[in-house]
Parts: sequence; structure tokens; C-alpha cells
Amino acid sequence: MSQAELVLFLEASVRLGIPLALAALGETISERSGVINIGLEGSIIGGALGGALGALAFESAGLGVVTGAAAGVLAASVFAVFAVWLGADQIITGTAVTIGGLGMTGAIYQARFGVTGTELSLPTLAAVRVPLLADIPIVGSALFDQAPTAYLAYLLAPTLWYFLFHTPYGLELRAVGEAPDAAEAAGVRVLLVRLATTLFGGLLAGIAGAHLALAHAGTFAENMSAGKGFIAIAVVVLGRWNPVLVLLAALFFGAASALQFFLQALGLDLAYQIFLALPYLLTLAALAGWVGRARAPAALALPWESKR
Amino acid sequence: MNPTLVRLRGVERRFGSVVALAGAELELRAGEVHGVLGANGAGKSTLFNVLGGLLRPDGGTIEVDGRPVVLTSPRDAWAHGIGLVHQHFTLVPTLTVSENLALGLRGALEPGLSVQRAVRELIERTGLDVPLQPRVEELGVGDRQRIEILKALLRDPRILVLDEPTAVLTPDEIERLFDLLRELAGEGRAVTLVAHKLDDVLAVADRVTVLRAGRTVLTAASGEADQSELVRAMVGDGVVDTIALGLGPPPSGAPPSAPHAERWVVRLRGVDVEDERGWRLHKVDLDVAGGEVVGVAGVEGNGQRELARVLAGRLEATRGTVELPEQIGFIPQNRSTEGLIGEFDLVENVALALYRKPEFHSGPWLRWDGMKRVAEEIRSRYEVAAPSVATLGGALSGGNQQRVIVGRELEMSADLLVAENPTRGLDVSAAAFVHDELRRLASEGVAIVLLSTDLDEVLALSGRIFAIAAGTLRPVSSRARDRAGIGALMLRGERRTAVDSALERGVDDG
Ligand SMILES: Nc1ncnc2c1ncn2[C@@H]1O[C@H](COP(=O)(O)OP(=O)(O)O)[C@@H](O)[C@H]1O
Ligand SMILES: [Mg+2]
Repeated sequence: MSQAELVLFLEASVRLGIPLALAALGETISERSGVINIGLEGSIIGGALGGALGALAFESAGLGVVTGAAAGVLAASVFAVFAVWLGADQIITGTAVTIGGLGMTGAIYQARFGVTGTELSLPTLAAVRVPLLADIPIVGSALFDQAPTAYLAYLLAPTLWYFLFHTPYGLELRAVGEAPDAAEAAGVRVLLVRLATTLFGGLLAGIAGAHLALAHAGTFAENMSAGKGFIAIAVVVLGRWNPVLVLLAALFFGAASALQFFLQALGLDLAYQIFLALPYLLTLAALAGWVGRARAPAALALPWESKR
Repeated sequence: MNPTLVRLRGVERRFGSVVALAGAELELRAGEVHGVLGANGAGKSTLFNVLGGLLRPDGGTIEVDGRPVVLTSPRDAWAHGIGLVHQHFTLVPTLTVSENLALGLRGALEPGLSVQRAVRELIERTGLDVPLQPRVEELGVGDRQRIEILKALLRDPRILVLDEPTAVLTPDEIERLFDLLRELAGEGRAVTLVAHKLDDVLAVADRVTVLRAGRTVLTAASGEADQSELVRAMVGDGVVDTIALGLGPPPSGAPPSAPHAERWVVRLRGVDVEDERGWRLHKVDLDVAGGEVVGVAGVEGNGQRELARVLAGRLEATRGTVELPEQIGFIPQNRSTEGLIGEFDLVENVALALYRKPEFHSGPWLRWDGMKRVAEEIRSRYEVAAPSVATLGGALSGGNQQRVIVGRELEMSADLLVAENPTRGLDVSAAAFVHDELRRLASEGVAIVLLSTDLDEVLALSGRIFAIAAGTLRPVSSRARDRAGIGALMLRGERRTAVDSALERGVDDG
């Protein structure tokens, strides 16, 4: 790879990694509280369509991000009501939200725009170049000449880390994910915490979806989330439920996808699928404890009900 | 007279069809240590969970400082100065000790006082020493109990309730805890100690309340009530299990004789069990002969669990030789998680122990008719209160679950029976039943190992006694055969964490 190609590759890695990072950061928070939201995909695709519609309506990509976030919260609220509030099985509810989200966004899109085949053209989120930082050789422009949503992810990772490990609220949140009964006995309102984290996860997944539509594609396509919700869940595991590591893991997944495109573009006769599989293999290794200990929150995916 | 801080009147609470409280009354006064007695299942924990805001009462009133209050959460209870040390630990195992102590403390401390400082001051003042850095899961139960007490004291409660804190402490530690309770009462607090042993309560309480079947049956100054009166209040007309109440063995219950050396059934030599957290058992030698009851006393978390499972053939020793008989019966401590499967009916639960035997097979198929017959027999012979053998295991009360497990293990006609805290949480009549069966079995020549945190139970039932501390088994000489003597042995080597054992081995297990 020449230096120019390397820069392009890094830029693509970050661009592909950002939506994963946003969704995975939200999922990290909800999983830390014991909720595994398999319906994340539903929030992402909802965020993509919500973002597209908002951006068209307001003729502003920025407001599109806001409506995308709202759509993500809406999808997550279905999960919150059924899986968290009513204690339904988290896996089944999440699957329903994913399938429902994909189906409904497709239907809304077709009803609104018909099956014309012509691409929808949306206002896009312009890249913002950060002075000085973007001038760092090679990595500078890859990291610091991105859509504003990228900077949101950079800021969120350390902020959420500090929140989780250095504030009383973060401590209560983690206690809810490890031992909800004990948390209740310590005066924490378990369901409230879990509802809040689920909606927060939906919010970030919605922004991730809006980013897909408005920063990447400049258009909406059915199923454009393409499994990113599930990849984000794997990213959380590889990042060991630690927001800072999760951001790095997301960029790593982004790099793996970028590499695949590059190898194809370069016409190299390599089995590029191997590179695509690499992050998953690492995730498995993390789960099995081969790359350091990765322990999920003890009460992850367990419905909880007060015994009062 | 000291002012009344708390008054509970006619408190009721049901769990499904189980009536846990049926009009309990209680009055707690400032400056007093109040003892609450009652057999297992009398409703003590339920009552104090109501006072602690953890359970909603179905009826009755709670008054604090003479005013009726409604407590909808533990936070409400703290706001009224009520602090509860739970019987069942409510710590988060995966968080550190400091984190556990800080949990839920938001806004509860004086402004400007950091949790770390408050904790350190409290440890200094109370002498309840615990390490702050390790995760709770790395610590033994003694430490966990101290952490629970610290957690309640951190909020500086005016009304402090300790629900059976003595079970996991050594006699020495219990003595120190009682001193602390008297001191706290001396500062004008209302201190309440819940127990099901008379001695514990009489040693420290100014007044006593006895609960039976969810009702308050007696309240008296502790000087006025004599032992037999209290016992009668606790058990009513029911069976008196003197062992469960800490009153020593019944007259007929002389401990079984010394071992017949020719009939060794169990032989352990130099047995180590090690896991990633360090030694669980270390250089254990143990021989058990048919017809004897060997008692193993110790504070929970010192290797009993591992020893029981090695003896039951369910855990492999890391080192050493283990000789066990073919047929081993095992009564595990956690009836509802290890003993029975809640979602299985009685026949299936009985089948779990029997299905390997040839008489319950025809070809590759199980013979359910035979196992059903055994289940029916167990139900009638051991007086299991269940409508039929199709009743699910999880639907039985603790005592009846234990009857099924004991019955099942006895029906196996084992050569060795390993019983781990077999009467914990049982009501008096169920406990008496278990004790009688263990004696009967020993008299029929079965080797029995009784591992219990209940010193009185061990003293009353066992021939030879061992104390277990930090994974090491030590014989108790006949001279040291009392609470104090065994207690001293139990104390040795308490609190050995992964770090200690790693240091001993000279490796870094980072
Ligand atoms: N959460 C619960 N669900 C169902 N039954 C319960 C529950 N808690 C207590 N009980 C039942 O209520 C009765 C009183 O229990 P408890 O208050 O724990 O007694 P004690 O503390 O005096 O031993 C027992 O029969 C027990 O089985
Ligand atoms: Mg109790």
C-alpha cells in the first residue's frame, strides 16, 4: 500500500467504525445494567429512516440526526416495555424488534417514496476538519476530518467510562447489572435504571443509523443497517464492556471491513473473507478468555422483578 | 423508661398461599438491645424485611417515633433511621468491598465526607476489620458478614436490626459483635438481634420477643423469662428439637461410638483442592468408618463445600488419594438449587438419584413405574406434605424438600452419607426428623459425615469432630470438645485469599 492508499484505508476504517462505535457504546451501557438489547438493529434501521425523513423534512442533516435519535429511542421503547418492564424474554423480544424494525422501515419507505428505483438524495453531514489535529501525518485526517457524529463517539467513550467507574450513578448502574436484588436492597430503583439505559442505547443506535444514512450514503435503502446491530453487540464483548476499549474495538471492526474493500479494489487474489472474519474470531477469543478476561455482567439478559 | 422508637402492630404478609406473618407485634426502644427469637420459618426475616422497606406488608401498621409511616423502599426506611443487616447477603460479589460500601450511599453521608474516609473511621471505631480493595467474591463469609454490618452502620441508623448475623462468625467474633451491639445501644440506639438460638439472644438482649408461625407470642425482659418458657413459646406444642435451639443433645442421643477400625469406608490422604483463587482444601487426611458420625465444624467458606463434594465423589481432588465406596448419598446445602430441580415433579426428582440402577431399566428405556413406586414410598414414609408425587419440587416448603432429599438418599442404601448443613433453614420438626434419621442410619452401619456451621448440631450428633479452617482439617481432641475449643480451632487461618495462598506457593497468579 502506498501512503496515499494507507490514508484512504484508515479514513475508511474510521468511517465504517463510527456507526458501530455509537451503537456499541449505547449497548455497553445497557448491558452493564443487565439488559442485552438484541433489538439494536431495529433502532439502527429506525434511526436511518427517521434520520432520512427528518433531514428531508427540515432540509437539514443535523436535524436529521435528532429525528434519527428519536426513532432509535422509539424502537428501543418497545423493547423496554416488553423485555424490561414486563419481563418478557430479552432474546425473543429483541429479535421481534429487529425483524419488526426492518419490516416497518421498508414498508414506510415504500409507502412514502414508492418503488421507483431512483435513489433518494438526502442532505449530508459534512465532514468537519479539526484544526491542528487533522494535520497529524497519516492518522490525522483519518480521525479528525470526519462527520460530527464521529466526534460524538470520541467524546462519549471517555465520558461514559468516567460515568461508569467514577460516579455513584455508574456504580448503581453496574450493581443493577451484576446483582439486581442486592442493588434493590441498597436502595437502587432497578427497573428505572434498566429502562433508562435501554432508551439511552436506543438513542445512540438511532444516531448510528442516522449517521449511516446521512454521513455515509446520503440516501436510505431498505435493510441498510446490514446486521450492524449484531456486530455492535460483538464489539461490546471484544471491548470487554469498557467504553474506551469498545471504541477501539469498533474502529478495529471498521478496519477489518475497510481492508476487505481494499483487497477487492486492489484485485488481490486473497480470500478477503478471512479478514472479515478476524474481528469475530477475536471476539470469540475474548469470550473464551484468551485475550484477557472478558466477563459479562452477571445478571445480563435475566429478566428481573421486585419481590416486594 | 426509654422512649419507644418503633412499634409494629398486627403486621401481616403472605407469599402466595404461605402465611409468613399473621399479626406480628414488636416494640423497639432506644438504648436497648432487643432479642427476637423464633424457630426457622417463624417469620422473623419477613418481619424485618417489612421494617426495612424491602417487603410490602399486607396488613398492620408501622410507627416510627410514634407516627405511622409507609415504607415503600429501603431508602424510605433509611430516611427514618432504620438500618437492616440482612440474613441473606445482599452484596454484589463482582464489585469491590469499597464499591459495595459506597453503593446506594449517594446523599446519605454528611456533605464533604468521602465514602473512603467514613469507612475508615467506622472500621476504626467498631473494630470490624475488612480489606477494602478485593472483590467481595474473593472473601469468605465472615468478612462478608462484617461488610454487611459496616454497610448498615455507615448510614448511622438510630434503629439497627441484625438478622441472624452469628451463623457465620466464630464464637470469639460473636463475643466481640455483642460488645459492639451493647455499645451501640449505649449510645441511645435501638438495636435488634434476631436469632434462633436461645444462648445468643440471652447473652446480650435486654428484652426478648418470640415469634411463632407469624405471630408474636411473648415479649418479656430477658431476666424475667426462663429458658423453658422461651422454648415453649418458640415451638408451641410442637416437637422440641433441642439441638436446633442450641440446648445440647436430647437425653437419649449419646454420640455414636468410636470407629470400627476394620470397616473403613472412606480414606482421604493428602487431598488438595485448588482453583484459580487458591487452595480450597489443603493436605486433608480423613478416615471414616461404617457406623460413625464424623462431624466437621467450621465457619462457612473454609472448604466445607469442597470437602463435601470430594467425599460425595462430585469433585476431583487436585492432589492426593481418595478412596470412596460405590454408593454415596449426598444431602447438599442448597436444597432448591442442588438438591432438587424445582421444575421436576417428585418422581423425576427421585429418579435423578436412582435412574442408573439396573432395576430401573429395561433395555435402553427407563422404568418409570418402579421409580414412581419409590417416590410414593418416600412420600408416605417420610411424611412429605405434598398432594401427590406429581407435585413439583419447587412447590414444596424447605422442610418438605429436605424430607424428599433425605428420603431419596436413604433409599439408595448407600455406604456413606455426606450431609452438608442438612437442617439449615428448616423448621423444628423437620430438623428433628433429619437428626433422627442421621442417628438411625449410623446405628445401621452407614458412615456419615456431617458438615455444619452449626456447632451445637455437630457437638450433639458426632462421634469424632474435626474443625475446618482455611481448607485445613484439624481433629478436635476430647478435651477441646466444646464451643470455645472448637471455636479456637476454627479461627486459625481465617481469611486466606488468593493472594495469601499464591504467596505461600511463591508464585504470582496475576
Ligand atoms: N420470598 C418468599 N417467597 C415465598 N415464601 C417465603 C418467602 N420468604 C419467606 N417465605 C416463607 O415465609 C415463612 C417465614 O419465613 P422467614 O421470615 O424467612 O422465617 P425466619 O426468618 O423466621 O426463619 C416461611 O414459611 C418461608 O418459607
Ligand atoms: Mg430468617
